[in-house]
Amino acid sequence: MHTQYVLLPSFRTLIEAIDTGSNKTALSSCNKLLKKQPQNDLVKALKALALSRLQKFEEAGALCEEILASKPTDESTLGAMSHTLRGLGRHMDIITMYESAWKQQPGNEELAIQTFSANARTGNWKLAQQVAIRLHKQFKEDRYLYWNVFCAVLQLEQASDPTTLPPLRPVLYKLAHRLITTSEVPSFYSPDRFYVHILILKELGLYEEAAALLESEKGKDICGRSLICDELRREIWVLKGSVKEEGQRAQDRILKKDDRNWLEFLSVLNATFHDINSTEEPTEETMAACQDQINKTQVFFAEIADRDGARDRSGPLALLELELRARKIALSIDPSALYTLTESYFQQYGDKPCCYEDLLPYVADFNVEDLSRWTSFLRMYTLSDTLDDLRRTTNALKLIRYSLTPAELTPESENARAAQYMDIYYNGLKHGKDLADTELQHADDLLALAAHAFVNSWKISGDQANLYNAITVLEFGLTRSKQAYQFRLMLIRIYHILGAPSLALEHYRLLNVKQVQTDTLSHFILTRASTFALSSLGDLTYSTECIEASQIYQSNSLDTAEFVIRAFLTEKYSQIADFVTLEDRLDNSLQRDLMKMEHVRMRVAHEPISAELVDVELVELKFIFDRLHYDNRDFDILPNYQPRSQPTFNEQTKMFGKIPGKGWLWMFLKVYILACRHASDMDDTAEEKLVLGDRPKTNPNIEAVKLPLQERLAMRPQEELDELTSDELALVNFETSVAEWLGPHHDFIRPLPSVEHTNGTKQIENPHTTNGTNGHSKKLDEQPTSKEPPEIATQFFDEMKQRFDTALQASSLPPELLHIVTLTQEAFLLFAIETTRFKSSAVVKAHKLGAVVQSIKDIRSKAAAVLTAMSVELDKLAAADGSPERSQVFIDACQPLVASEITEEFVSEVAKKVVDARKQIVEGIAKGVAKVCKNHA
Amino acid sequence: MSVLRPFRATDLFKFNNINMDIWTETYGISFYLSYLARWPDLCCAQEAPSGRMMGYIIGKAEGPGTDWHGHVTALTVAPEYRRLSLARKMMDLLEHVSDQSYRGYFVDLYVRCTNQAAITMYERLGYSVYRRVREYYGSLGLGRSAKDEEDAFENTGAPIDAMAVFTDMRKPLSRDPYRRSVRPGGREIVVSAHDVS
Ligand SMILES: CC(C)(COP(=O)(O)OP(=O)(O)OC[C@H]1O[C@@H](n2cnc3c(N)ncnc32)[C@H](O)[C@@H]1OP(=O)(O)O)[C@@H](O)C(=O)NCCC(=O)NCCS
Repeated sequence: MHTQYVLLPSFRTLIEAIDTGSNKTALSSCNKLLKKQPQNDLVKALKALALSRLQKFEEAGALCEEILASKPTDESTLGAMSHTLRGLGRHMDIITMYESAWKQQPGNEELAIQTFSANARTGNWKLAQQVAIRLHKQFKEDRYLYWNVFCAVLQLEQASDPTTLPPLRPVLYKLAHRLITTSEVPSFYSPDRFYVHILILKELGLYEEAAALLESEKGKDICGRSLICDELRREIWVLKGSVKEEGQRAQDRILKKDDRNWLEFLSVLNATFHDINSTEEPTEETMAACQDQINKTQVFFAEIADRDGARDRSGPLALLELELRARKIALSIDPSALYTLTESYFQQYGDKPCCYEDLLPYVADFNVEDLSRWTSFLRMYTLSDTLDDLRRTTNALKLIRYSLTPAELTPESENARAAQYMDIYYNGLKHGKDLADTELQHADDLLALAAHAFVNSWKISGDQANLYNAITVLEFGLTRSKQAYQFRLMLIRIYHILGAPSLALEHYRLLNVKQVQTDTLSHFILTRASTFALSSLGDLTYSTECIEASQIYQSNSLDTAEFVIRAFLTEKYSQIADFVTLEDRLDNSLQRDLMKMEHVRMRVAHEPISAELVDVELVELKFIFDRLHYDNRDFDILPNYQPRSQPTFNEQTKMFGKIPGKGWLWMFLKVYILACRHASDMDDTAEEKLVLGDRPKTNPNIEAVKLPLQERLAMRPQEELDELTSDELALVNFETSVAEWLGPHHDFIRPLPSVEHTNGTKQIENPHTTNGTNGHSKKLDEQPTSKEPPEIATQFFDEMKQRFDTALQASSLPPELLHIVTLTQEAFLLFAIETTRFKSSAVVKAHKLGAVVQSIKDIRSKAAAVLTAMSVELDKLAAADGSPERSQVFIDACQPLVASEITEEFVSEVAKKVVDARKQIVEGIAKGVAKVCKNHA
Repeated sequence: MSVLRPFRATDLFKFNNINMDIWTETYGISFYLSYLARWPDLCCAQEAPSGRMMGYIIGKAEGPGTDWHGHVTALTVAPEYRRLSLARKMMDLLEHVSDQSYRGYFVDLYVRCTNQAAITMYERLGYSVYRRVREYYGSLGLGRSAKDEEDAFENTGAPIDAMAVFTDMRKPLSRDPYRRSVRPGGREIVVSAHDVS
């Protein structure tokens, strides 16, 4: 972007400063240069860039306006501007800027491409397509034709483009088809063009035509080199009903090319059962034919299994799958075949860690006799003297555990199993004593099994001692196997259940979660983080964690779209839809906004409730309220070795038994939006100023978005409420009732958001966020009458105190107590947000709100009293929690574990850490509550 | 049983069980997309029938003249799926595509000198050491610090000035029938990171 000016030394300094991110230096260089050349757009553009990087958005924005008004055409200026505007989120302006430049220089291909890119960046495929059409007309390059075609595909693939009506679909595809076939260079030119061609044929249902292309020499060659095209080929074959043909082809590949891709085996299996699967009511004839097929396939797979031996497990697994499918349609001849195959599979591959996972679907189909035979067979595996023995025994134990019935699962039996697993674990350690510390121990899974047994035992008996045992073995496991991330994940869950969040956080940090993983894995630490956050005391650990974990969303919105553009430029069409999906799923990630919500919850406990806080959060939360969320969280990463008659480890270790999802988020959004819009004096113009860049596109697929905000906020669908704990539900009901009570007064007093909006276009785009921004379009004429406060609001704090006392007496786990206390505190804070307006005595006087204000005071002092009492109780609890007796309880509970490997010392160290961590959090929350009471008295 | 399929952008949501590994780096989104936007055919994944990811390979094609070759940037298999020939199959594919589609002369890769398992594997797959590369700064985010690396070398008794961090390994493709891209005794040839690319 800096070719023509490079000669000037002062300019070079500037560029260097920009490139190295020395924004202050860049800014002062710009100012100097502008003194000499006040009209230099490039320098101005760079200044805007430096300003925006220095977070001086308003100044940067104003400068951008100035430059845009001059309609620049110089590529360097445009490049710098594009950069700046992207950072400011003003993609629409980039489009207009390039369009205008291109209009001024219609022969400039680069400008045309940039105009295309600008549209692609915003996902506006319809406009991008129009640009591509013009590009092709003018510059005649084939790739523009494919751009045109692929923009059509994207328009149609994304139902999110509501302007493309369904009847348009075939029209657009037909057009695309005609374009490709009229192109001089056939699509064989590159795998990605070929991919587009086949994709269009697929959409048009022209399977035979697609097949002909795929069957041609060139087509075959491409599929042989491109898995992506081959994937599409498989789809076409299924779609055109040539399942059997494909099965034959797959057999050939398996036999002659030694292809062991499981997809080939699946093709053979699908072909085998095709006759039956393709009719509703198979005749006896079809059944017989299928039986015959099954026999043939059986022979084929057996031959492969024979040939491969231990080299590849596809053959034996295919035999198992064949038998299972035959059983499902009552065509299995030998009722014991499934069992026999399973057993022999175990004999052959029992030393592979994946044997357990491989066999689960088949064991799940065993009858009672099979099961008892299976268990006695597996019980023979008890050795661990050789590595092979150890691996087999581990698999055997996992598989035995998988089939345990509820009757076999008592706390005593589970504890006995844990002891058995640990014994073999200790013995198994010897096989890994020479491993580098970068390696995992071979015996690790046995320890994981022991931890599972302890957790299950806790689930059945409710006895915390089992969790102490689980912690001790897992902590020990980590001393032997430093990289065993699964131990850490399990520990994180258990530490949360026990109320030792700082230890959970420590393990989480050691996992070194980064980049996109913060989206998929941060839930381990940030789910309901406000329960454990000491933001009330100014400790911003969790807030910072939220902010850091959210960085991925920034880099996603800055970078991902650029790769969509790059994929157009490199003509890798096969990637584009996935890139777009990736961007979309991150942009609208559920975890992103769950973290945002937690951050807000922590923020109000930490900061004074200012107009600025209320306004900014209101705007942001309303944006979120218009999103269609994707849940990218990874829960499968937690191992699960619980019996299939039991909930999974993940299920068992959810804090409060519930993981917040979309419903939870929706409810909390409503609560906070309700409170903030009452507290806010912001009108639409003020709100516009707070919005940086383009408004996010509202997703037309959310029905509710079409309703007025007011109505949406009042909705309480059961499926959303179901995601809340009973205490969270109480909070929601509290805020709802307070909002109803005070709402009319807020509405009467606060300035209304202007109904007549100056920017008409925005109103058309999204009538609800503008005219209905804060939900009111007309001012009440009459002063609303003051009402008595609702019962829900007046009794809430007493009820929470009761909840707290009951939980305390039941000696519930600390998190439950902390949950009750932090939610009570949150209600108090929401109440503060709702009532700040009535603190001004002028307002009270003018609107004769004396009675209302008295009720507010009553509720507030009740709340403060309750919270103070809770704080005192928590303090006592913390003192007790930190006592040596508590450590001793832990140590005693783990006594059975103490042996040569796990020492007394080790146990007491772990115990001390747990006890300290629990004390620390309980104490912290107690202090925090007291502080919040004082701040908002 | 594993499905060999293309690596996709959306796999970034699913690859945790593979990437929680000390030898496997999790890069920024741009890294993966820049590979997919240029060499999608050199990136593939293995998946269990349940949909769980088992491993993946990410590669590229680069180099001038007779240096034109396929390069393995990342190859990794989740611990529970190791020793099932998954890495071998993904390497086969990458070599096949480097040979057939890109007409490269060889395939090469860099592996940490301390990563013995991987070095053994590559040797079994026909790769030989072309040279070793010193690199003093930065541990490329791998869990081990430069100090660990040094220690590892001290333990082997290697002189510190010969300390190499990466082993550059190569295997010729059909376009190099006379094996000009490889050489014997590559282990002894140590160059500094500045001399490479
Ligand atoms: C290195 C790695 C990719 C191997 O994956 P894999 O799927 O287990 O390898 P394969 O089963 O295909 O192994 C092929 C051959 O390599 C050799 N091999 C693989 N792992 C080995 C090990 N740990 N020790 C000794 N030889 C090994 C064997 O000869 C094996 O054939 P065999 O099992 O029939 O004896 C895997 O261990 C891994 O992901 N490690 C962490 C990431 C990493 O180090 N990547 C390489 C960075 S460049």
